[in-house]
Amino acid sequence: MNGAINFTYGFSHGVEWGWPIAVYLLLAGISGGALIVALLVRFYKKQQVDTPLLKAASLVSFVTIAFGMVFLVGDLEKPLYFWKILIHYNFSSVMSIGVMAISIYIPLTLVMCLYLFEKEISVILAKKSKLVGYFAMVMSILTRFRPLVEVLSVVFAVVICAYTGFLISVLVRFPILNTAILPALFVVSGLSAGTASAGMVASWFFKEDAHSSDMKTLHVIEWPIMAVEIMLIAMLFVSLLVGNEFQQTTTVAFQSGVYANLFWFGVMGLGFGLPLVLNFALGKHVAHSQMAFYLSGMASVLGVLCLRMFIIYAGQTFGV
Amino acid sequence: MENDGKRRAFLKVLGLGSVTLGTAGYSVVSEAGKTEKKPHYGMIFDQNKCVGCTDCEVACRKVNAVPEGQVRLYVENKTDPETPMEKRYVRVSCQQCEDAPCVAVCPSKACHRDAKTGIVTMNPDDCIACKYCVVACPYDVRFINHKTKAAENCNFCLNTNFAKGKEPACVEACKYKALVFGDLNDEASYINQILHVKDSVRMKPTFGTKPSLRYIPVVKAGV
Ligand code: SF4
Ligand code: SF4
Ligand code: SF4
Repeated sequence: MNGAINFTYGFSHGVEWGWPIAVYLLLAGISGGALIVALLVRFYKKQQVDTPLLKAASLVSFVTIAFGMVFLVGDLEKPLYFWKILIHYNFSSVMSIGVMAISIYIPLTLVMCLYLFEKEISVILAKKSKLVGYFAMVMSILTRFRPLVEVLSVVFAVVICAYTGFLISVLVRFPILNTAILPALFVVSGLSAGTASAGMVASWFFKEDAHSSDMKTLHVIEWPIMAVEIMLIAMLFVSLLVGNEFQQTTTVAFQSGVYANLFWFGVMGLGFGLPLVLNFALGKHVAHSQMAFYLSGMASVLGVLCLRMFIIYAGQTFGV
Repeated sequence: MENDGKRRAFLKVLGLGSVTLGTAGYSVVSEAGKTEKKPHYGMIFDQNKCVGCTDCEVACRKVNAVPEGQVRLYVENKTDPETPMEKRYVRVSCQQCEDAPCVAVCPSKACHRDAKTGIVTMNPDDCIACKYCVVACPYDVRFINHKTKAAENCNFCLNTNFAKGKEPACVEACKYKALVFGDLNDEASYINQILHVKDSVRMKPTFGTKPSLRYIPVVKAGV
């Protein structure tokens, strides 16, 4: 571009942010997505009782974000210094903002779990009669804020999904990452993986009937979410294809090599193709089977993992 | 550079008036341009003079205790294979951006702008080695030091030679005077005198980070 003089050598070698970050991005997406879907279903249907779906979603969102933090912190070369982020706050850093959002979001998911597993926890604590008294007291206070906590949970769940997109979309050196579509794509793919995870956990652990009203709802919203996801990926590709010379060179990532395989077999085949085939191509008998339900749920989650891996690896491989 | 040029033109116009008016005008200028008081350190790499001896690299690694196999400064051979006799070398190092993405993204403020000198530098003790700055730098000139486990960049020898009042190690080491270091905000500095008479460019300016390194490219007549 600056024809007179230029250098192409770089001091970083290849992909600096590797698979632990991709897994973290997946887990954060599942966490946020599951909670958003379950709570929106609750608001929309004006549910008052604690449904298996909401139970599953609360549990999934807490566990996945907690594991996500393990991957995130574990990827640091000095994980024991993590607290430095909390004392030297940098408001211009998406990572700092994300850590702030997470430190609000994790307690929210924990409180959601407390609401939904109040009975179970009481039963366990009943063996130590003193604790159960304290717990009942805490819960009686917390329960008053439940409507507020639910709304805040949805808001922060969206923030968590979106921030993971902004985290890497600010990296100007990498055309695949440096796009406005990325945060939106991360929210939508998070919804897709979150819906699948919450559905599977609800049915496996909380014995939700496969034909219950909530499961039918999940089954209905699953496809539009997938359609939007495919559309956003297509937009990302087209924006690179019609972009400047650097953006154009990155479209190779979709066309050949190991990342193209990851994209076409993992993201497209496993994530979108397999669920579509299982649910629509093999007849009603297969579509309604338990096996198809779990298989297609796992395929969507793995597909979103492949998407995160593709974005992280291909993104950092094709730099300016 | 463009600004420097304008200021000079402005001062020349004032110089046509009386001496008192000129000095009054000058003090107004220094008040208006707040940056004037603070230094803005920059460096020139003159490609016409560099022979690719890599003495600068060696000196940098020694003075700043850069571990084996890592560099803060690298001299890249960009000679066109079609014209192997026309050597072209380019300095690869931190461009000391005025709008530095590395500083903006660092969650622990380990990567920061030194308050006194305005130089982008590091506090290794605060670095959590998240590598956010490494991926955020548009020039790909940051790395995690194997020994300190902290991110690092060329900081004009801020903690070593600069602290002792010496020129950066690379500048000292260059026998061919291809490197010039100085304060771009100081009208009288040698670096500004050179910039006033020679054409220079910034590396990849389209990233919009306002790098402080200036390159004087080889331009052959008739190219
Ligand atoms: S060149 Fe890179 S490391 Fe240096 S100031 Fe700019 S962004 Fe930071
Ligand atoms: S690697 Fe260190 S200097 Fe770089 S952004 Fe992370 S904490 Fe800051
Ligand atoms: S010491 Fe000077 S001549 Fe030698 S490589 Fe470095 S800049 Fe070029």
